[in-house]
Amino acid sequence: MEKVLVLLHTVDGGLPAAAMETLGLARRLDAPWDLGVIGAGAAAAAQSVSGGAGKCFAVEGELFAASRYATDAAACEAVIRASGAPVVLAPDTLRFHRALPGVAERLGAAIDTHVVAVSGDGTIERWFYRQRIEAELKRSQRPWILLIEPGSQPAAEAAPGAAPERLEVACETRTSVEGFSTPVTGEQTIRPDAPLLFVAGAGWTKKQKDGAVHLEEAAQLILDFVRKSQCSLGSSKSLVDLSSEGQPVLPFLTHLHQVGQTGSSPRHKKGLATCCHGEEPHVVGWRFIKERRAINLDPNCGWARGKADVVYVADAFEVMRELLRLL
Amino acid sequence: MSYQIVVCGGLAPDPLQTLEPVFDTVKPSLRNELMLPAVFDPWAAHALYEAGHLARQHPGTLVRVVSLAPKAKLQQVMMTVAQKLPFELAALDGPAGGFTDAAATAEALAAAIAAMPDLDRSRLLLFGGWESATRGAGVVMQRVAERLGIREQFLAVDELVVEPDGALLIKERVEGGRHQISRCASPPAMLAWATGSLPEPPNHPQTGMANMRVILPALQKARPVSLAQTAEFVRVALPAAVRQTRIVKDVSAAEIAREIAEWIRQ
Amino acid sequence: MEKDNREQPEAAPLDADIVCTGFGPATAGFLWTLTRGLQQPEMAAVESKAMPGLPPQVLCYERADDISFGVSGVVTRARAIRASIPDLDPAAIPLAARVSEEKLIYLLDPHGATRRPAWMRLADQLCRAFSFLLRVEHEGLALPWVPAFLHKGDGFIFSLGQFLQWTGQQVMMTGLAQIWPGTPAAAPLIRDGRVEGVRLASDGSEVRAALTVVGDGPVGAVSRQLDEAFGMPAGRRRDEWAVGMKMVVDLPERCTLREGTVWHTIGYPEPEIFGFLYVHPDRIASVGIFVPSWMDSPVRTSYRYLQHFVRHPYLWRHLEGGRLRSWGAKSLLESGRRGEPYLAGDGYARIGECSGSTNVLTGSGVDEAWLTGVQLAEAVLELLAEGKPFTRENLEARYVARRRASWLERESQAAERARNGFQWGLLPGFAGMALAGLTGGRLAWPRRREERGIRRIEEYYAGRLSRSQIERARAAADAEGRPLHDVLMDLCGWPKIEYDGRLLVSHQDALLMGGKVQAPAEFPDHVVFRSPALCRSCETRLCIEICSGEAIHAVAGGDGTPGFDREKCVHCGACLWNCPAGNIEFCAAPGGLHSAEN
Repeated sequence: MEKVLVLLHTVDGGLPAAAMETLGLARRLDAPWDLGVIGAGAAAAAQSVSGGAGKCFAVEGELFAASRYATDAAACEAVIRASGAPVVLAPDTLRFHRALPGVAERLGAAIDTHVVAVSGDGTIERWFYRQRIEAELKRSQRPWILLIEPGSQPAAEAAPGAAPERLEVACETRTSVEGFSTPVTGEQTIRPDAPLLFVAGAGWTKKQKDGAVHLEEAAQLILDFVRKSQCSLGSSKSLVDLSSEGQPVLPFLTHLHQVGQTGSSPRHKKGLATCCHGEEPHVVGWRFIKERRAINLDPNCGWARGKADVVYVADAFEVMRELLRLL
Repeated sequence: MSYQIVVCGGLAPDPLQTLEPVFDTVKPSLRNELMLPAVFDPWAAHALYEAGHLARQHPGTLVRVVSLAPKAKLQQVMMTVAQKLPFELAALDGPAGGFTDAAATAEALAAAIAAMPDLDRSRLLLFGGWESATRGAGVVMQRVAERLGIREQFLAVDELVVEPDGALLIKERVEGGRHQISRCASPPAMLAWATGSLPEPPNHPQTGMANMRVILPALQKARPVSLAQTAEFVRVALPAAVRQTRIVKDVSAAEIAREIAEWIRQ
Repeated sequence: MEKDNREQPEAAPLDADIVCTGFGPATAGFLWTLTRGLQQPEMAAVESKAMPGLPPQVLCYERADDISFGVSGVVTRARAIRASIPDLDPAAIPLAARVSEEKLIYLLDPHGATRRPAWMRLADQLCRAFSFLLRVEHEGLALPWVPAFLHKGDGFIFSLGQFLQWTGQQVMMTGLAQIWPGTPAAAPLIRDGRVEGVRLASDGSEVRAALTVVGDGPVGAVSRQLDEAFGMPAGRRRDEWAVGMKMVVDLPERCTLREGTVWHTIGYPEPEIFGFLYVHPDRIASVGIFVPSWMDSPVRTSYRYLQHFVRHPYLWRHLEGGRLRSWGAKSLLESGRRGEPYLAGDGYARIGECSGSTNVLTGSGVDEAWLTGVQLAEAVLELLAEGKPFTRENLEARYVARRRASWLERESQAAERARNGFQWGLLPGFAGMALAGLTGGRLAWPRRREERGIRRIEEYYAGRLSRSQIERARAAADAEGRPLHDVLMDLCGWPKIEYDGRLLVSHQDALLMGGKVQAPAEFPDHVVFRSPALCRSCETRLCIEICSGEAIHAVAGGDGTPGFDREKCVHCGACLWNCPAGNIEFCAAPGGLHSAEN
């Protein structure tokens, strides 16, 4: 394997899990590697993990604290040029995903994102068609930037080393970061680090056995469970679409909760799908969820066909009522 | 202020279709690719609806779609998209699909945009989806923007609000289910949209017919484009369905709840 | 996330020269011929009256969400299609193949549950007794020849969806016609006996045109409302129908069936049900059945019968291990010439199945529909060139006259009485078909005066199930939420279908996996039960049994009106012609099947 540059950014002054995973991958590839870190506190962060690195660079300062294209791209470009490594490994965070493709264009580099595996001979694996098709590919073009999918690699242990060389980078931009918004409902129901993901499907809003719709109870059962179990809440597309058509279905569900083909692919250890059929466009979003169970009245639903570990053929309302009693 | 909004978007197979790859050791493709009904890429579509929304708020704004796709399929897809909002079309007749090269695609799109005689960078907003439903790389928009010298770029956008002084207030999704709010003083800017905050506009036949006056000739004039392939594919496959599902039937809700509670606690 | 209500543009009327309803094979033939004709130099001077200075504005509104979502068999001699497209190469159209071999197969009853009359059971026994001599294998007898009237040997197998996608793309690439999917036409605009265009279902916009071409199929809303407004010609009735239901299957790897194979089957799963198997390229097959209106079962249904058909040993030996790719259903108007409405009037003309072009003797409708479209287009081109208006007289003189002078008319006359015999019984039915077929329609079984209506369940199952069994079956169906036909078929000895999750799947799974059925949110229910009192007094609830998608279902504790689940409806229209009281309103709406392979 050729020389690699591990390019990371800080979050709140430290290195996030995704960064440690990328570092772990580089070490396992058994290639000589450089380290570059950008962002607030980059120098200290770099030093905390530079053990084993060849060259080590940092770009920090007020200009580079904020996550924004122009400054991040300038910083990354500087680090990549300074290192000269033909292959760049970086975590596929939104910050880097925003910046690095443009950097690739500037450098005449190739770039591949959402990479889930890299082998010593330079073959990478990534997904196509919203994770319905997996592929392995190679490229001869250099430099080659690889954005490593968070959650796909085990994290490295931090090993401190030499202090980085600080690079001075000048950059102008018309963009300033103003802040962050709080979730719509005033309560955080998306918890990426929770061990359990609870997915609500459109079946919650359909007519039940008694021929009536029970929206209020559905909402209450779902929210109570999310609060009590401190799990993360997800949804199928059809349920979110109903919410967005102006119908007061389950108003605490937004597109951010959507899991699947046009939604997200969260990474929880366990997932519990309720009242959703388990069809392909939704299930592709479950790719990284290790243990899967579903509650559905249909014993022949998609989950039952190899997509879940256990399918409970039962009324979700009844099961959730009982489950809440136990928690 | 009125804008020039250029929306880049390609085609994706209708999401409900079953996809299977075929790989002749050189170039992968989808089995029966010609047969699959296509839609306008879902996130690019969101970007387009947002463009339409912005155009209504800022009279004099032009919305122009640039699309690289097989001409006949693009024509068919336009018959649905064109009913939703007024826009012009610049079409490039070329291959679509997830296995085409992102850099080559970006080069073709950027060239088409740069060649627009009426391009006004001071009013230019470049819109697109944050990634495609096919290649799913999320790199084309950034590359196009760089080629056009646009260095204010935003990814995973859900909202754009224009302030009274003309600054753009933009919300991007960030990790943890939150949005980052940024302020960009002025165009040109590139916004790669996530789902945005607007529902899909209903179809309006009048809009469709009016659009056809520009779209039909644009399709007939579509310049053929070939895309170089730089990646060397080694293997292309459907992921294996590995699970042996245990189906639990005829068991009381209470018992099921007990089993689930135990599983959660493990 | 709020709907932005400010931005609805005014629903101002649209003006065009020609507006078509429905993009099926008839309208495809019409637009193919019309756009090519308009490209000829002698038509260059013809201008749009709606938008002077431009060529004629030709619009087509199709209900389904894509022009590739249609459903049909199809095997066709493609005479008219090939006349329009002489260099038609099946390789250019996905799933198209030339017919390579054709068989007519009598399927025996492997388990004794079918409602065969005695003579047919005797026939089965004879077949088994002499199976070696007759070469009966796998419970099927391939007849030594295919009657000429059924014969498709020189033709093609198509996927209708793919054929329409291909022709639609070609038509639109001329730039001379626009085909708008997802845009159902709700009703014709009629004033003083003239048709002046259509009203669209979505927002009530009016599309005005000098000529309205009605090609919206056997259950199309515009076509039916024209019948209500203008009546049917004397003696004409639309009283013979069928549900066609099919699966598209990936054949197992070891399958030896050749591309282009065509099987026509009779005898199973019920003697009234005809079946088919066509083999497309790439080891893909279409397999399906027709459940006709003259099958007088009060619990007639399609999906379960289709599964039994697939499980018949003669077919199962080839299909076992296969995978369901697609599924779909439609109504067929089998009244033929007897159901032919007024073909033209002031400002409108009818083409395709809604104009009675389907031929029940030959079992074909696609090519016939295409031909009617071609004939109308030729008439329209003449009238445009001559600057003449689209009056009833002119359309009758140019379009209807062409139709009457063509093979379409000859063959539809031959077919007109071909199915009369089935009104009397099976033996007269088959005999009558053979008679009509072999004599070109000159001889036929006489038509029965009263229509054979739906029988009461007790009467239909007399001799097989007792009254108390039927009562218990009703109770079980109600309690378990199963359709009544399912319980009754079990009682009659029909084996349970073992689902394999790949080819044999539940009805709902077929809808989702195969048909990929959708319903857009912002439309009202398009199937409406007019009078709850009529539903309450209905004994059979045939609508529930026959519904192709299980969209119509019983509601426990309701007012007797069945429930309707829009998301499961494939717009086949079976409910419309199965309701004995005519109590169902079936409106135009988008959505339904989302498969491009049917």
